Amino acid sequence: MTHPIATMTRRARGLALAAWFCGWLAATGPAHALDAPTGKVLLSVTGHITVRNGADAAAFDMALLEKLPQFSFHTRTPWYPEPRKFTGVRLRDLLAALGAPARANVSAEALNDYRALIPPEDWADHDVMVAYFLDDAPMLVRDKGPLVIIYPFDAHPKLRTAVRYSRAVWQLKGIDVR
Amino acid sequence: MTRAPVQPLRRRWLWGAGLTILLAVMVSGVLQWRQYELLDSTTQFNNDALGWSFLQIEIEQLRLRNRVQAALADPAADDRDALQIRYDVFVSRIGLVDHERAATVMRDEARYAPAMDKLRAFIGSADRYFGAKPSLPPTPEALRGLLVQLDLLSGPLHELSLATSHVLSQRVSQRNEAVREQIQISFGLTLFQCLLLVAFGFILLRQFRALRERGHRLQALADSLEVARAEAESASRAKSVFLANMSHEIRTPFHGLLGMMSLLRDTTLTRQQAGFLDTARDSAQHLLSILNDILDVSKLEAGNLQISPEPLDLKQIVRQVDELMRVQARAKDLALRVTLADDVPRWVRADATRLKQILFNLLSNAVKFSNAGSVSLAVRRGTGATTVFEVADTGIGMDESTLARLFERFVQADATTSRRHGGTGLGLEISRSLARLMGGDITVRSTPGVGSCFTVTLPLETVPAPEDAPDTSAVPLDAAEPVLRVLVAEDHPVNQAYMEAVLDKLGHRATFAGDGAEAVRAMQRDAFDVVLMDLHMPTMDGFDATRAIRALPAPMNRVPILALTADVFPETQARARAAGVDDFLAKPAHLPQLREALARFGAPANDAVRPAPATDRDEQPLDVATVEQVRSALSPHQYAALLEGLFNVQDSTLRDLRQAAARRDLAALRNQAHGLKGAALSLGLRSVAGAAARLHQTPDSALDADLIDSLDSLERAMVHTRSSSRQQKLVG
Repeated sequence: MTHPIATMTRRARGLALAAWFCGWLAATGPAHALDAPTGKVLLSVTGHITVRNGADAAAFDMALLEKLPQFSFHTRTPWYPEPRKFTGVRLRDLLAALGAPARANVSAEALNDYRALIPPEDWADHDVMVAYFLDDAPMLVRDKGPLVIIYPFDAHPKLRTAVRYSRAVWQLKGIDVR
Repeated sequence: MTRAPVQPLRRRWLWGAGLTILLAVMVSGVLQWRQYELLDSTTQFNNDALGWSFLQIEIEQLRLRNRVQAALADPAADDRDALQIRYDVFVSRIGLVDHERAATVMRDEARYAPAMDKLRAFIGSADRYFGAKPSLPPTPEALRGLLVQLDLLSGPLHELSLATSHVLSQRVSQRNEAVREQIQISFGLTLFQCLLLVAFGFILLRQFRALRERGHRLQALADSLEVARAEAESASRAKSVFLANMSHEIRTPFHGLLGMMSLLRDTTLTRQQAGFLDTARDSAQHLLSILNDILDVSKLEAGNLQISPEPLDLKQIVRQVDELMRVQARAKDLALRVTLADDVPRWVRADATRLKQILFNLLSNAVKFSNAGSVSLAVRRGTGATTVFEVADTGIGMDESTLARLFERFVQADATTSRRHGGTGLGLEISRSLARLMGGDITVRSTPGVGSCFTVTLPLETVPAPEDAPDTSAVPLDAAEPVLRVLVAEDHPVNQAYMEAVLDKLGHRATFAGDGAEAVRAMQRDAFDVVLMDLHMPTMDGFDATRAIRALPAPMNRVPILALTADVFPETQARARAAGVDDFLAKPAHLPQLREALARFGAPANDAVRPAPATDRDEQPLDVATVEQVRSALSPHQYAALLEGLFNVQDSTLRDLRQAAARRDLAALRNQAHGLKGAALSLGLRSVAGAAARLHQTPDSALDADLIDSLDSLERAMVHTRSSSRQQKLVG
């Protein structure tokens, strides 16, 4: 196969190379800025991240969260009698978008100051999710919302342990990457 | 045996044990599954977290109360959002305990339902200000009212969280109890399984041991069978040896009987007596042939029959067979046709005796079973290096079933022919065994009423004709045989009498010794030309006697010794030869064989034919038998005169011969030598005759040295003979 660059003139070739390099930077580099939240801030991520939209944090409103790749699964939980559908963003995708280290420990904090540490074995190896929809509807604070960390408990029996249940933080308000 | 009913019982036992183990495994499996489910559901529904939830409600209630109080105390710094969140969080905690499962867990707790009612009532009134769609503004009055309600909740909530922790610890201990019970059952089951396993192993061990024992028993049985087989074989061998010995023992006196009968036949008898005697002799001959057959069979069975092939003239063998069978065939008016194909090698290596035995047997049968027509023997070359002897007849023939059993022992074509034709039924078996021993076989084809054809195929090795082959057919039995002094060592009186008669008939003089020791003494006392030695004698047997004679001083130790024996085993013959026996005479010794053997070993006339023994006998200058014969035929005086005459011309004869040799006038030499040989032979001067004969046969190519050598030996022989005859007082 002939590379298209090989057929261009020298000048055009230089321009094309520059354009390609910029594109590569935009796709992979840390310089991608996060838009500022316009709505009510639901989640703020702090710690070892490279992408921020505030002084020391990346703040998300619902619109920003919904821009990230959406993910959903059904699972049973100890808190609902029936299996429920959860929709949100995978913790893995969220942290990647923020340029967090690949194997960082993550501390999740709830509105009631409840805190739990989520190790990379969990969020990197499983589809641990920051859910914003329950059965396709937003969650109220009184329904454990607006954000919930949820594990795909039905995917693996290993996940159905008290330790993992304790890491499923409701009423999530902040994430600290350590 | 008792094993048959035990087997199903044991099998049932095994089945029972197997099923029990399976059941135990299933029960413990179910138990473990139950435990797993219990544990799984406990974590799944997070029931234990209920206590924590109630505690959280209590805490959130206090936090909410604090927040409300703070809002009341400082209305200016009113943080509406913070209050809202506190409230929402409080409400969200209630959802964790206000559901079906929690109700189930707290079923027996009387304080749960009223407390929950109070909580729900509080939320119902608070939601008017802080719900999803508030209907009233949260005025300080309203907040104060809520604060009172919140305070009222404190007591029941605290009670509830205490009660929950009690209920939960109760449940935990219940669950622990259940788990302990299940573990105990599991343990029991495991123990039971272990026991079963041990029992199983024990049964297996016993089975294994039984199997091994059975193996040992089988081995022992096999061993004992092997021993029994060996015993049976040795018994059979012993029987064969016994049979061979018995046949031999029977043959010895039998031989005397036959000999006596043939002598009796020569005496004056009435016609009737002669008839009786002929019948008796026929019966005896028949009996002897049966004995020979039995002896052969027993030898074949004992594996003692050995084939000793040597170069033989096939043409001569066939001629001999022809001559003998012609008499039988003529007696039954049958034509006997014997043909020998041109491509059949004349000289082959074979055992003449056994080959003739096969041919005689087949031809005798052919003659026996044919009443008219012809019997033929055709010898031709077969495929490869084989020679085929076909014996065909126009006899009664045989059907298929008879053919199938033909070569079996004691089987004859049928019982009626057996009675009519006689015979042991061993002949064919012996013939075929012999043919197989020679590496060949006998086959047969036959049509009832038309005839039979027996085909003997033998791989006979072709050999070149021996150079010194005597044309035996041309050798006439010498009419003028010398009188021999024969020492017969024979313990049996009948045999002694027989031998005396036979030797007398041959014109020899027999001296008898009753055992070996006596024979040795006789040798020391008198001079003999030949010794006929029975090998089996009391006191000193033939072997020891032969050795003793060979140990005597010369010339007595050189007397030819012929062993008389019916013992056919090659080992015996080898032993006898080792002892010093020159040759063997089958016992009974028939007249022609005896005559031939005595002529061979006793007479000097045959020395020319057999050069090898001739040199030996040259050393004995005088042929005592001839000398005695001539001395008795003429008179000692006349003999002495003849001898003197010969010695007188000795010097001139020698001189003439030497001159002829010097001139290389071989014709004259041969002529004179021939004359000397004749004279020496007729006077019994063995060594002189021998030396003269060699001189007579001097070839044209002979060297002078050879001639001088021959002349020297002639002179030595003459000098020697002269002194010998003086010693023996043959001349004055």
